[in-house]
This record gives sequence, structure tokens and C-alpha cells, in this order.
Amino acid sequence: MKKTVDVSIPLGPVHPCWKEPVRLKCETAGERVLRVEVELGYMKKGIERIMRGRPWQEVMFLAERVCGICSVIHNMVFIEAMEKISDIAVPPRAAYLRVIVNELDRMASHILANFSYCYTIEHETLAMYLLNTRETVLDNLERITGSRINTAYMIPGGVRFDLLPEDAAAMLADLVKVEDEMKRHVRIFETGPLIALRSRGIGVMSREEAIEAHTVGPTARASGVPDSDLRLRHPTYRALGFEQITRTEGDNFARVMVRFQEVFQSIDLIRKCIETLPDGPIRGGGLCRAGEATYSGEAPRGELTYSIKTDEYGRVLDIAIRTPSIMNIEACAHSMIRDATSIADVTSTFISSDPCIACNER
Amino acid sequence: MSILQEIKNAVRSRSIHVSYVDVGSCNGCDIEVLACLAPRYDIEQYGIYVHNNPREADVLLVIGSVTPQWVDKLRDIWDKIPEPKVAVAIGNCPISGCVYNRRGTLTEPPAENYIPIAAQVPGCPPRPTEILNAILSVAPLVFKDYEEKQR
Amino acid sequence: MTGYLYEKDLRQMKYTILTSTRHDEAVRAIARRIGMTDAKLRMAMIRRFDMSLLENLESRWEMGQQYADRDDPVAAELGCELFTRFVPLVDTETMQSIYTETTAMIGNGSPRVEALARGKEQVREAVLS
Repeated sequence: MKKTVDVSIPLGPVHPCWKEPVRLKCETAGERVLRVEVELGYMKKGIERIMRGRPWQEVMFLAERVCGICSVIHNMVFIEAMEKISDIAVPPRAAYLRVIVNELDRMASHILANFSYCYTIEHETLAMYLLNTRETVLDNLERITGSRINTAYMIPGGVRFDLLPEDAAAMLADLVKVEDEMKRHVRIFETGPLIALRSRGIGVMSREEAIEAHTVGPTARASGVPDSDLRLRHPTYRALGFEQITRTEGDNFARVMVRFQEVFQSIDLIRKCIETLPDGPIRGGGLCRAGEATYSGEAPRGELTYSIKTDEYGRVLDIAIRTPSIMNIEACAHSMIRDATSIADVTSTFISSDPCIACNER
Repeated sequence: MSILQEIKNAVRSRSIHVSYVDVGSCNGCDIEVLACLAPRYDIEQYGIYVHNNPREADVLLVIGSVTPQWVDKLRDIWDKIPEPKVAVAIGNCPISGCVYNRRGTLTEPPAENYIPIAAQVPGCPPRPTEILNAILSVAPLVFKDYEEKQR
Repeated sequence: MTGYLYEKDLRQMKYTILTSTRHDEAVRAIARRIGMTDAKLRMAMIRRFDMSLLENLESRWEMGQQYADRDDPVAAELGCELFTRFVPLVDTETMQSIYTETTAMIGNGSPRVEALARGKEQVREAVLS
């Protein structure tokens, strides 16, 4: 019989597949992965420590620099937490504009995540198609907010810029283009026999494991965790008739497909928003006061929670951020990758959970 | 100029291998470097290849203010890149530490303290076109007549 | 010479993770639950857990309190599932033997409180070992 040797294979921190530095130490027996240890600390900037004792005007900009990919939702959750503390009402038009910008950001993030997955399984053609589609989405984000990545669009009591009718028309035209392109990309992904070989039935995470590690977002929804989308509880989304997408397979394919389906859902939400966009002011104003609140929102990767304590001048005394990647990376490393049949699946499985190390370590 | 040098110049101007290393940023500059790959900017039409492998790189893009884990490892990566090589700082973070350079931070910017930086692209984050422009302007300056200059 | 090329001492960084607000609260709660000092528990965690598990400690602890050991009162008291699956401080075999011993003691007629106290003492030992 052939002798199996135990080997420890380190992946990273600089790795062609990782977009950010992280180190996975895989203990293997032959090709089978027995255990994975995650070594972090490459992105630990101590942002919560920097935020303490600063006025909200500064923390607002720090909050969106927790993560560059999903900066809009960090901004949104922080601002809505401040509004919850100080009882500031948001004008209806501003609430709808927030949803539009947030969904554009979600589309960009999901497309980027799927780009990374396709790039990792070396389907470069589809990856490049997706990256080009993402540019169109970012154009629309830039048209509304004036910036591609760190937008700082929302402020307590409203948003900074209005959506002009000609911009809305241009956006609707772009969305038709994006939808057509995405339909084609999804067909390529869904029907590609080699993609299916690399994705179906690999990195399976059961529903129990998903609940155990408290996974959130598309990773949880692909494993069939019900009621895991916090947009179901957001008042504006409820008014728009939002419904959660759930799949039950729990493998790499399901995770990528959930993200694809959510892109289409986002397109529909934006269209509905523009159709029913109420008139009125976009900034209500208000004063940030002392208080304490915990507020959660649905980031592209899942549930994002801010716990904030402020003093009477609106300075942040204490803050704790729980980002979705913390749970997802942990579940991925300890549930999906464990017992993988090949070391070649480790990279693709890891990327399929859409890891964001900058979020994870803050 | 020797004919060998001329051949080398011609080859090098159309084959620049890029590796990027994130030493603790918000990820925004990372994805702007990735966006350069998109057919819209098409980084490969200039003969630039993003491989993310330091051992075959010519240009190292440094992103982010330096976190504790990278204090010793950034130099290691720089040493692994074969000559001729050049490092470009992308974004405000490696230049000054940007928003992270405050009281209570864990980072230790700037990146210049660890490796020689040849060019800096400020911005939070810079646009893909600016990144592209920086690579295209700094690479010929360093790689042209490299062997002649060594003498 | 046997030295690692790339391995670094991670204890300081792990400690930084554990001392942020929410994680500190979770560690204190777990320490109260097991009945040991915070410092000793932190030491055990830093030795046992990898960095991503430490980051996720707080939400795992939250989920553990919601979902673990909902049927069996003895298991709930000892934290059978809580400390093996949700916050894996003790390995499954050790926990199983502690659980079997405790239920046997209760079955043999020794007082419930005493048996549980003995079981918890064993859990503490297992965490520190």
C-alpha cells in the first residue's frame, strides 16, 4: 500500500488567488485536508481604537474605510445607528435614495465576488466579462455620489446629493444593459460543464454548521438558513416588498448562484425605487445626541452590526463593529474546507465564501 | 549603446510584470488595481501582466499602511523580487498612513521606512487610470538602459 | 538548527483581538459560566484557538446560548454542546466521558448539585490542560 504522509501546506499571505493577505495552514493527509488554521493579523489596523473619542463627523469617514468593497453599507449602518440614538427622522425621498445607492454597491460587490471565484477556478473569460459589467455599475454609483469607492453619501437625517431625472433615465438605460449582460453571464456559469465539475458538491456546508458558526449573508442563504436577510426587517425594503433568496445545496455553486440572483433582485429593487421615488427634501437635519444603540444592516456579505455609545456632543465614546466576514471566514475555514478531498479545492472554496480580510480584522 | 541593451530595452518596455501586496488598507485600492484588469482599462494592451507573484515581478504595488505582521515581511518580499525592480505606492496609506495614522492605531506607516519607493500615487483610492499612468511612467525610467546605468 | 522561516509569535496579536469591547465581554461571560478567572481563560483560548475563531468568539457564544443543549438539563448545566461545538474549548471525547460520569453519579443516587459541581470541576481541568 502507498504510504500517506502528513504535510502542512501553507497558503499565503501573498498568493495569486488571494486579493488580500491571509494565511491558511492546511494540515493534509495525502490530498485530503484534515484541518485548517487561519492566521490573520495582516490587515489589523485597529480602526475601533482609532474611532474612540472622535466626533461622529470623523467616525463617519472612518466607518466606510473599514472595508472598501462594501463602503456604502458601512456608512449606512453607522448613520442609521446614529439616527436611532438621536431620534432623527429621514425624509422618504432620502430613504429611497439610500436604497438605490446601497443596491448599486451590493451589485458591484457581488459581481466582484463572482469575478474572484471565476478567476480562481481559471475561467478567465467569464471573469473579465463580469469585471467589465461591474464598471458599468460603478459608473452609475459615481453618477449619483461623485465617487467610485468611498462615497460618504449618507449623513444623519438624509443624503448628500439628489438624483436628477436625467441621471435616473441614464441609470435605467444602464440597468437594462447590465441585466442583459448578467443574464448571459449566468447562463455561461450555470450551463458550463467544467464549471459545474469545479463547483457542484464542493465545499458543502450543512444548515446545522451554518447556524453553529452564525454564518450570514449569501453564505448562509446558500445553505438554506431561513430569515437570514436583514433587509426583511428594514422599513424601506419592506415597503418595496423585498423577499429573501434561499438555496439549499450549500456548495460553491449555490453560493455563487445566490449572488447572481441577488444582482437581479437588486436591479428590480432599484427600478422599483426610481418608479416610486417620492418628492420632497433630501436632507431633514437633526442633532446627534448622547445614547447607546446596537443596529444591524444587511451588507453584501451579510449581517453587519454596529454598537455605538455617544456623549451629548455626538462624540463616539465606545464602538464595536461586527462584520459579516468574521463569521463567514471562520465557518469557511472550519466547516467547508475541512475534509476537502483535494488541496486544489481549498482556494476556490475559500474565495466562494467571499472573504473580506479588511472587514474581518478592522 | 550596445545592441544587447537595445534588445533588452525593446523587450522590457512591452513586458512589465506586476505584483501587488496589501499591507493593511481598506481594500479600496486593491479593487481599483483589480479594476485595471477590466477590458475597459485593459492593462494588458500596454504589456503589463498582473500575476501577483513576487518572484517574477518587475513592479511591486504597495497598498496600505504597514501593519505589525508586515513590518518584517515587506522587506522579505522586496528581496525576493529579481532586479531590475521598482516599488510604487498606491493610495494615501503607504505615503502617510491616511486615516489610520491616528492615536491608538496599530499601523506603522510610511512604507518608505521598509523598502525604497520610486513613485507614489495619492488618492483614497486613486482611479484605475491613475494607477495605470503611474506604472507606465515609472517603468521606462527605471528599466531603460538598466545594465548601462549599472556600470 | 530548527527554526521556522515564516512562523511568527502570534500571541500578542491574539491578545489584541480578545481585548476589543465585544470580545472582552464574551470572554468574561464564558469565564463566569465555567467558573475560572478571565486571565486563565484568555491564556487557554490563545493556546487553543486560531485567530479567525477568536474573532468569531462573540457570535459563536451568542449562538451557543440560543441553540446549544436545549433538551438535556444536565448537558445544559455542563455545557456539553456549548463547549465542544460552539466554543470548542474541550474535545468531544473528554466531554462525553465527563457527561457519562456525571449522569452515572446522579443515577447512583448522589446529590445532583454535588455531581454537577464535580462535572464542572472536570470541565475546568479539561479547559486548562
